[in-house]
Amino acid sequence: MLKFKKKSLIYLAVSIFLLTLLSSLNPALRTTILSTFKYPLSLLTLIRREIGGIIFYHRNLMQNEGLKREVDLLRNKINTLDEIYLENRRLNDILSLKQKTPYKVIAARVIGRSPDNWSSVVIIDKGRYNGIKQEMAAMTYLGFLGRVIETTESTSKIMLINDPNLGVSCIVVGSRQEGLVSGTLGNSLIMKYLPKGADIKISDVIITSGLTDAYPKGLLIGEVIEVGEELSGLTRYAIIKPAVNLSSIEEVLIIIP
Amino acid sequence: MRKWFFLFIIVVLGLLEVAVLDYFKIFGVKPDLFLIVVVILSLFFELKGVIFFVIFAGVLKDAFSINTFGINTLLLPLWSFLIMKLSKRISIDNNFILMAVIFIITASHNIITGLILVFSGGFFIPLGISLRIAFLESLYTAIIAPLVFKIFRTFPRWLPQGAWNWE
Repeated sequence: MLKFKKKSLIYLAVSIFLLTLLSSLNPALRTTILSTFKYPLSLLTLIRREIGGIIFYHRNLMQNEGLKREVDLLRNKINTLDEIYLENRRLNDILSLKQKTPYKVIAARVIGRSPDNWSSVVIIDKGRYNGIKQEMAAMTYLGFLGRVIETTESTSKIMLINDPNLGVSCIVVGSRQEGLVSGTLGNSLIMKYLPKGADIKISDVIITSGLTDAYPKGLLIGEVIEVGEELSGLTRYAIIKPAVNLSSIEEVLIIIP
Repeated sequence: MRKWFFLFIIVVLGLLEVAVLDYFKIFGVKPDLFLIVVVILSLFFELKGVIFFVIFAGVLKDAFSINTFGINTLLLPLWSFLIMKLSKRISIDNNFILMAVIFIITASHNIITGLILVFSGGFFIPLGISLRIAFLESLYTAIIAPLVFKIFRTFPRWLPQGAWNWE
């Protein structure tokens, strides 16, 4: 049985005092440490990427050939869509509708991730110096990624969409059913509190709704892979496979509002 | 020189945990290398010799995470203190006992961290996910701990004569 001496009580008191002090010093300490470790983290990530390139050479070669074929196909589609876009502009001009300008983005590389398993966070190599601020949305070329939660001068932290603390207002493409998507700290997302008669089914595409100013409308979230009923029987839920592979993100795009 | 060596080890393990260990996730969890290092230092050396390194490991972990700053800075020295007390009463040379101790410490660490997250009002994790993280991370950390211990036990051969001794 451990004996609790006066020393232990002093230790406890000092601990509580230190916790309070550290909480107040939080921004200064975190900023300094993150700025210090930015370049070692970037170097380690680069080494890991190069080693991965050597180890997975054959897989990358096959993937490259498949992607080249897909690029050619998409190029053809873009040409077709360009024509449709020009026609749309002409028609809008005729109707004198206001043109929406696309948003600007800042590209950044992922240099690290949260060391604990209680959150899904990535660290990127751009910060306030580059114009990034808290609450900005983040995405990749494939779809929506998350939100900036912390910034230092040269690094930022992004909470990913599979973190349970990030809720994103979404709609189902087609039926326009609204819902709130949050994460499970795993490879899937969950859309909860859907009404019993919600018009949602497997393989439906989910996008951001744009109902709040937090995220632009139309960013791809993912695809429904399962629909079920909650234990209470009053509401339904949908499991969503994210469009972005959250375990292998290399680059992110921060949206400038 | 040995102090710089331990500082270097903690920094390298921290960088590994942040930049590389995500590729070794199983069911969405990765092992806690910081905790293993703290246990190793606590078993081999006296508290006054390692308290600085244990606190440094905690500060490093807190800086990279988004939880309340100070959780790891205060919990890691506490586990170090308890490990030292425990090692005087039972032998932790056996791998199974070592794994059991690491499992209990990691589970306790996760439970306390989860409770602090809930009651600090900052973040909320559903109970099912919390239990999954607490149990699986503890298991994963306990399984790889003997491997990390074995690597550290071979260090005396890599260092100059007498460098492994603290005094």
